[in-house]
Amino acid sequence: MRKLSRQTKRDLVAYSFIAPNFIGFCVFTLIPIIFAFALAFMKWDGSNPIQWAGLSNFTRLWKDTFFIAAFKNTIIYCIGTVPLTMIASLALAIVLNQKVIGRGVFRTLSFFPYVASLVAITAVWKMLFHPSKGPVNNILLNVFNVPQDRLPQWFTGSLVLFSMILFSVWKYMGYYMVIYLAGLQGISSELYEAASLDGANTWQKFRYVTWPQLSSTTFFVVVMLTINCFKVYDIAIMLAGGGSGELTTSATVLVYYIYQKAFIDWDLGYSSSVAMVLFLMVLFVTIIQFRGQAKREKA
Amino acid sequence: MKKKLLSVVLAAAMMSTLLTGCGNDTSDNTSNGSSSAAPANEQQSSESAGGQETTEPVTLKWAIWDQETTRYWGDLKKAYEDSHPGVTIEMVDLGSTDYMTVLATELSGSGSDFDVVTIKDVPGYATLVQKNAILALDDYIAADGVDLSQYAGATDQVTVDGNLYELPFRNDFWVLYYNKDLFDAKGVAYPTNDMTFDEYDALAREMTDTTFGSQVYGAHYHTWRSAVQLFGVLDGKHTILDGNYDFFKPYYEMVLNQEADGVCRKYTDLKTEGLHYSAAFSGGDVAMMNMGSWFIATMISNLQSGEYDSSLCGNWGIVKYPHAEGVEPGSTLGTITGLAVTTASDTPDASWDFVKWVSGEEGAAVMASSGNFPAVMTDEVVDMIAGLDGFPTDEASKEALTVSNLYLEVPYAPNVSEINSVLDSYHGSIMTGEMSIDDGIAAMNKAVADIQAQ
Repeated sequence: MRKLSRQTKRDLVAYSFIAPNFIGFCVFTLIPIIFAFALAFMKWDGSNPIQWAGLSNFTRLWKDTFFIAAFKNTIIYCIGTVPLTMIASLALAIVLNQKVIGRGVFRTLSFFPYVASLVAITAVWKMLFHPSKGPVNNILLNVFNVPQDRLPQWFTGSLVLFSMILFSVWKYMGYYMVIYLAGLQGISSELYEAASLDGANTWQKFRYVTWPQLSSTTFFVVVMLTINCFKVYDIAIMLAGGGSGELTTSATVLVYYIYQKAFIDWDLGYSSSVAMVLFLMVLFVTIIQFRGQAKREKA
Repeated sequence: MKKKLLSVVLAAAMMSTLLTGCGNDTSDNTSNGSSSAAPANEQQSSESAGGQETTEPVTLKWAIWDQETTRYWGDLKKAYEDSHPGVTIEMVDLGSTDYMTVLATELSGSGSDFDVVTIKDVPGYATLVQKNAILALDDYIAADGVDLSQYAGATDQVTVDGNLYELPFRNDFWVLYYNKDLFDAKGVAYPTNDMTFDEYDALAREMTDTTFGSQVYGAHYHTWRSAVQLFGVLDGKHTILDGNYDFFKPYYEMVLNQEADGVCRKYTDLKTEGLHYSAAFSGGDVAMMNMGSWFIATMISNLQSGEYDSSLCGNWGIVKYPHAEGVEPGSTLGTITGLAVTTASDTPDASWDFVKWVSGEEGAAVMASSGNFPAVMTDEVVDMIAGLDGFPTDEASKEALTVSNLYLEVPYAPNVSEINSVLDSYHGSIMTGEMSIDDGIAAMNKAVADIQAQ
């Protein structure tokens, strides 16, 4: 037998280290994903033989009221949540990076919503924003004299997405604040000294030192936020689902619709085509972000 | 650049694992699993049909929910095992919240070893029939001479292309619960077994007191669409499979007007609080509430155990559902709970025997002994339930137990699951005021037409 070259041997050793994880990835992730792609062009209920459906799943999508509602809601939710969370967490990080008294306490407090159980805090929010008994609406009624029948219905209609965005920003800003804090502490103080010597004011220091230095952190934060926003499900169900867990067209989101089509209506092909749309949306946004980041790095 | 592209694709792939991971891990092998299981069954049944029944010990695996809180599962198991030596019933509790979803997933795999499954609702039944997960029982029914007329027409509403895949063993129907103390305090006559919707509406308004601190709601509607929409199907002319839902309109108007006038709690409040109907009625400020007959057993046992305060709701009664003008009283909505034999069962004959027993008169007696309504309603069963300790003692309440026409909340149709989702969703939209009644009904009509066009 021919002796293996040193390079091949080294490669084999490396592959053998990757193998356990990679095999698991293939079996439980890669193959199902490829299968899901294929399913988007099929008709299948999980039991009967799979039938070829061509593009009919996709043509159905654009006539489906619930899909269109879910698509629109998911996009509005993302457009609302991503920038707001980013700004809020960056602002928090900058403030709590100063030497203020009780800094540790405030950091903990702003991280707390992220740690707390989603189910518990949605219950609290629902009490606070209860349409007739909640303190928020009572303040609106008694202090701001909003008439009873015009009090906002926080968890229904057009306001439900707003509530979801608000809730999500509040819950997740603490987490991204920690990431920004790490980024801020990585910026060398010499840069700020040099900027001071050049006569930069606070805004200029932020604009020309902090912000560019944080660009890779921001990139990470935005990518993570976007992904998390697109896969929103729990917040919608908990805030808008009510007792039965059914979401109306004003609150339904893509991931919920994928679940509903796959495991309640058992239309796995159609459900996969919805998943495919979601995948393409995330892919599209991520490519744009990668492009932007690459440009910035070159500059 | 190439590397960049590759990394983009990889990153996207990783994201999609987060996103689509739920898509399809059920089964790559189900199609061949169930197809290979079918011939094995046929073999089995032809073998056992020739030989004697259950000479060797048989264990039947039975899918149920809420074993801890529901007494009759254990009662049925015990009574069957006592009268059928050699048969062991093994109960598997799948939980009630998403029972049919979990069950459909279980039966999609080839590894399923359930013999008998409980069918909780019709959409779930439709799913299992389409998946070929449960057996058509017609041959057994014909061979054993089971009389389907004892189910008062319920089985006709779940017949699929001439085949019946389940036999009901429990049959709940909707009645009107009322709190006698509240009526006495106001000096208003109790509701009767023969009320039109207008009379019911007037009575609810008469009972309402919006004074802060001594508030009384004349009516209460739970958040389910059945509690409002389905008043419309009681005339026997309409069903939820019609595709045109204009007949819901008067009932939405009635309930939304009541809501606006403080006659009933607001839907949005109920949704936000997740207030359970039992908490609403047992709180003692609801004069009348429409709800299924399953609540009778809950009322009796929770009043006995002291969980409900008997000074608030201890003096209660039931009457028949209100009816539309010109329709005979006693028409009501119903829900059946059935049993089916799986196609994957190794012992279909023994399984069928269990199904037949539970859904027949012996099973009915066991069900009635704990205050539950069996699908076979005989006079003895009515007497048994009305004679339970804790059941209202007035004649009207006993009479309310006899039903003239039973319309299933959801009759069978191939796409009933999707129609159900549409009606549920727009019910929410109408009740929260997101959509006007007309817009909501128009949206239902359109969405269901789209489903039926597929």
